[in-house]
Amino acid sequence: MLAIYKKELKYYFTSMMGYVFIALFLLAAGYVSSRMNLYVGYANFEYVLGSYMTLLFIVLAPILTMRIMAEERRSKTDQLLLTSPLSVEKIIFGKYFAVASVFLVVVAVMLLYPLILSSYGEVSFRTAYTGILGFALLGLALLALGTFISTCLENQVIAAVVSFFSILLLYFISDIASMFPSSNRSALLILSVLLLLICLLVYWMLRNILVAAGLFVVGEAALVLVYKLHQSFFDGIVVRVFSWLSVMDRYQTFMNNSLDLSSVIYLLSFTYLFLFLSIQSIKKRRWR
Amino acid sequence: MIDWSRQLSGRYPEGGRDTRQKEEKALIEVKNLVKSYEGHLAVDNLSFSVEQGKILGFLGPNGAGKSTTMNIMTGYISATDGEVTIDGYDILDEPEEAKKAIGYLPEIPPLYLDMTVREYLKFVAEIKGVKRKDQAQALGKVMNLTKTTDVADRLIKHLSKGYRQRVGLAQALVGEPKVLILDEPMVGLDPQQIIEMRDLIRNLSKDHAIILSSHILSEVSAVCDEVMIINRGKLVVSDTPDNLARHMENQEMVHLEVKGEKHRVSQVLNNINGITKVEMENERDGVCRLTVYCGSNDLRESIFYALAEAKCPIMDMHISNRSLEDIFLELTGKDSGKKRRRILEKSGQEGSAEANGDEADLLGGETSLEENDDLAGKQADFRKEEE
Repeated sequence: MLAIYKKELKYYFTSMMGYVFIALFLLAAGYVSSRMNLYVGYANFEYVLGSYMTLLFIVLAPILTMRIMAEERRSKTDQLLLTSPLSVEKIIFGKYFAVASVFLVVVAVMLLYPLILSSYGEVSFRTAYTGILGFALLGLALLALGTFISTCLENQVIAAVVSFFSILLLYFISDIASMFPSSNRSALLILSVLLLLICLLVYWMLRNILVAAGLFVVGEAALVLVYKLHQSFFDGIVVRVFSWLSVMDRYQTFMNNSLDLSSVIYLLSFTYLFLFLSIQSIKKRRWR
Repeated sequence: MIDWSRQLSGRYPEGGRDTRQKEEKALIEVKNLVKSYEGHLAVDNLSFSVEQGKILGFLGPNGAGKSTTMNIMTGYISATDGEVTIDGYDILDEPEEAKKAIGYLPEIPPLYLDMTVREYLKFVAEIKGVKRKDQAQALGKVMNLTKTTDVADRLIKHLSKGYRQRVGLAQALVGEPKVLILDEPMVGLDPQQIIEMRDLIRNLSKDHAIILSSHILSEVSAVCDEVMIINRGKLVVSDTPDNLARHMENQEMVHLEVKGEKHRVSQVLNNINGITKVEMENERDGVCRLTVYCGSNDLRESIFYALAEAKCPIMDMHISNRSLEDIFLELTGKDSGKKRRRILEKSGQEGSAEANGDEADLLGGETSLEENDDLAGKQADFRKEEE
């Protein structure tokens, strides 16, 4: 695993990729911080992170992750890795840790900001560092998502575009949810459509029509049953489901001065889930 | 088609395997390997084994399933059915142990173009788990063997195809695997390098079990102890190159141009004792061109007298031996080898139903001149004679 990690890290720091990623993030952080902390005069560094800073992930995370497996596959070097004694887990984790390390350089530099600000006045370190922790966890989660998308696709550019739209969707998912009609009947409809999408995904992964159809029938029956017996359960459920799915809503909890353990666990699970899916996607590819 | 292997005294595609091999420890064991892609069989029930010190050559046209088989053996893709055992470890159950024993050079060498040769080989040594203190020595050794020492510090993207191929081989040798699987190792090399590569592979065979693939027959016959000819995923024949060649030399062909009517000519020829097959090529202005197969006998005299008696003057007659290339083309040809395929089908009356179906497709509306029953009888006679 160390060999893969070193090789990847070396790639990011001998090509422009790593430097561009770090420089753009720090440029944005420096600019927003000078506006908010120095010009306007807020003493809270988390305001910087809570602002448009996170939008950078939409563009920069795909650029960092797009090549992870897609490039290996294109140049056929995945044959070297997958026929070596290394397990798929070690390959993916090695590669992911390299990407994460590049990102953590950004986080490490950000750790200095509150310290620098503190020499000009009172700074709440607790909230500032909670904010930075949230920022780090969000970044790690989105990089894991990008890694997964890169393992599924052959072409780097397509991987980047798909990652771009996936992250964009994550940003706006709770906004989108609030636009849906809020009646219970339409909630049932929307949940049914969601269930159908999940079942299609299951079918795509397993290629087993029986399992997918069975899942849909059981799920739909349960939904209808709950709808008939316990209508109040459906009040505002669409917004609740979508905001539960929304990574950004989780991120916002870090900006509200409180370290919410469930959000930490949520983001870490999100990261692990997508790394796990990456490993499965490579293993599954073999069986084709 | 199966009949061929019998004629070649080699092993049958299914069953009837040499039991002697089982006694020695085989480093590579492949049993009933099957790979299907959405209904299309890329590898169809292949079985073979290779011991230390032996080189097995896979021979087949492009798309015959050579690379697929190798990719399965190295654990890159999985088989639909069957098992692969490398050095006693199953590639699916104990992939890490099995993969440690394999050095694999894929069809396209898996090179990182923006690394130098030394960096690349060092990376390979690391992922193969070569201990840090042994790395420098291991790299020196493989670079010496593959003669890449003088390009050690150049970027791989600046190397020629031949050097890249050698770096690919060097990569396979890192970590001293017992089994070498080389997919088309000679591609892109100049004649001098091909000779060097052959010598290298022969030297390596002393303490390795090697499988190499090629679609060029001379390469395989020059280095391999045993050749497996594969077509459309199936084993066609498996034998030593010498045996293949020896039996082929016995197959003499007489090319004829005869003035006369098609049916008459073929009837006359079929009546000559010893002729296994008559193949009509074309007929123009009352002159037939045809090829006659007469086993190991030189039947030119009898042909001459028979045709003279039938008042069919011979305009041209010459003899030719069939080379290994001919066998290969016959055994694996499809559309381009239409004619040759016909020969094959005729010679193997026991050909499978599928093969016969193919033949019907290939022949289309053409008239086949020989009477099958007649021919089979002749062939049987011929075989008796030979024994």
